[in-house]
Amino acid sequence: MDGSSFMEGLFISLEPMNILWIIIGGFLGTIVGMLPGLGPATAVAVLIPVTFGMEPVSAIILMAAIYYGAMYGGSRSSILINTPGDGSAIAATFDGYPMAKKGQAGEALAISAVASFIGGLIAVVGFIFLAEPLANFALEFGPAEYFLLMLLTLSAIVALSIGKMVKGFLAMMLGLTLSTVGIDTQTGVYRFTMDIPHLSEGIDFLIVIIGVYAIGEVLYNLLTIDQEKKEKKKVGKVWFTKEQWKRSKWPILRSGPIGFLIGVLPGAGGSIASMISYTTEKQISKKPEEFGEGAPEGLAAPESANNAASVGAMIPLLTMGIPGSGTTAVMLGALIMLGLRPGPLLFEQQPETAWALVNSMFIGNIALIIINILLVGLLVKILDTPAKVLYPIIVLLAFIGTYTLSYSTIDFFLLLIFGFFGLFLKVMDFPLAPLVLALIVGGEMEQNFRKALLSSDGSLDIFFSSGVSIVLFALTVASLLYPLIFKFFKRRNQAKKTDRISKSS
Amino acid sequence: MKAIKLSVPIFFILFSAVFLIASFNLPKASLGNPNAPIYFPAGLSIIMLIFSIIYLFQELKKLDKENKYIKQMLSGRTPKLIGFTILLGVIYAFVFDRIGFLYSTILYLGGLLFYINGIKKWLVNIIVTVAFSFLSWYAFSVLLGVSLP
Repeated sequence: MDGSSFMEGLFISLEPMNILWIIIGGFLGTIVGMLPGLGPATAVAVLIPVTFGMEPVSAIILMAAIYYGAMYGGSRSSILINTPGDGSAIAATFDGYPMAKKGQAGEALAISAVASFIGGLIAVVGFIFLAEPLANFALEFGPAEYFLLMLLTLSAIVALSIGKMVKGFLAMMLGLTLSTVGIDTQTGVYRFTMDIPHLSEGIDFLIVIIGVYAIGEVLYNLLTIDQEKKEKKKVGKVWFTKEQWKRSKWPILRSGPIGFLIGVLPGAGGSIASMISYTTEKQISKKPEEFGEGAPEGLAAPESANNAASVGAMIPLLTMGIPGSGTTAVMLGALIMLGLRPGPLLFEQQPETAWALVNSMFIGNIALIIINILLVGLLVKILDTPAKVLYPIIVLLAFIGTYTLSYSTIDFFLLLIFGFFGLFLKVMDFPLAPLVLALIVGGEMEQNFRKALLSSDGSLDIFFSSGVSIVLFALTVASLLYPLIFKFFKRRNQAKKTDRISKSS
Repeated sequence: MKAIKLSVPIFFILFSAVFLIASFNLPKASLGNPNAPIYFPAGLSIIMLIFSIIYLFQELKKLDKENKYIKQMLSGRTPKLIGFTILLGVIYAFVFDRIGFLYSTILYLGGLLFYINGIKKWLVNIIVTVAFSFLSWYAFSVLLGVSLP
């Protein structure tokens, strides 16, 4: 690691304006993340316009703060009203809500905040050591390796939507086909623009993102808006007991690295990280029967893991320019729009930007623990604000955000179309991340595919010509076979269980 | 419910078929391989078509199985809520440039709040509408320098 770049990044992130953005981003992210059904991807998508006109470094710092803020926020609503903000906060309901029901809401919020803080710090340290070597490694990638890496990311994200792989593939294919709309950069041919000048530069993926994640999610939440539970929570002192800390500290320290490594993997994210850490802690616990009844370690472990995963997910985004999750895909879209091109060259050409972000993660985690502990009273009040008031505001923010992209109201119609389409996909249980991810990387994927074929005179051997490409190809195949292997083991376990039951009876 | 369940796979089948036909009708490139811009979208359309047909069969198999989300979407005032949100959005798009950001936003947010939150909570609706419209105008137009109509 280059020490001077690191220090320069530290000074940038410590600039008063950037600290202010971290605090604002963390706070706004926490609020959106707290809203039931809305997660970090929506938080970043809705708040993208706030970054317009900002210095790219400040913008990326702000977006990262929104992202972590939303991760923190997601678990606030899990603990207090048993409604996770998004998938990665589901595990926080298992023991967080029972703790709140037992009158330990304050303790649960404190454990969750401290666990997230420590998990985040562990992951930032991991980031510092892993990011640059990975970026240097990625510098040696040619078009064939890049194409295969994108293919691996997409197939991994589809394969992880177990039980709905066909839908995942369809969402991915839709994203890829939509990415081909516009002028083909290699030949100048207009593709699928239907003579609409607005489409010559392609479909703006930010509109799709805002449409699907903001409008689509709000429309989806309208399905249950009249059944909204009104649960007022009283939060006492926000701190935990010595006994609770004793039970939580090791699970936090174990889950941080697990979450970080899972976060780095393409496709896997906070949801998987928190579930794996929860089940691991339950398996090794001396009191597994207390899990689900309000065990502090049952809350601490997933909270540490999901925050660490959110930092880990930034590694493939920044070092290779490949987002591994829906939220990082949204961030990539926003960064490209701001003129920043994440990838291996970011660490070489703009090291101060990259290291400013890394340092801002430290500061962001400190800011968030302060926000989440000192301002908990205010956050609880916001959580009491009816969704019927908040959702119309989110829809409006989506419209304003869209307008700031192109200053054209034509995009409002596209926004509504994609919002409505997003609702249908959610209702039919389609995973949204493959669509968004494919739309964003689709253009690059095609260009790399064609460049690779050009360099090999049309021979497909180029995709098996280096050790890296062979490994990437093998991993892609393995990720696609993973659901079949998963199914096989599940069936075998079930068969064993039935066998045991029939023998014992 | 069955119609909604089938509408999605049929949409995908039609979409991929249209995309496939459009791919083969793309103009040829004057530089390099004339078919270069066609391969990728055509390949994608074929794969999407195959998956769409598999998906259609999957849906046909469980056509009688209840989907609670579709049920929710069609019950109570939900269809009206969704329809109104979209309709108001369309009106917002039409009047945004004509009457300006502030007036159109007050109308849009006010309309949405009154419909979703109910007329009984008129005071909250009015305060939120006016406060949020001015606040967003100030934040975007003045603080962030976004040029709003």
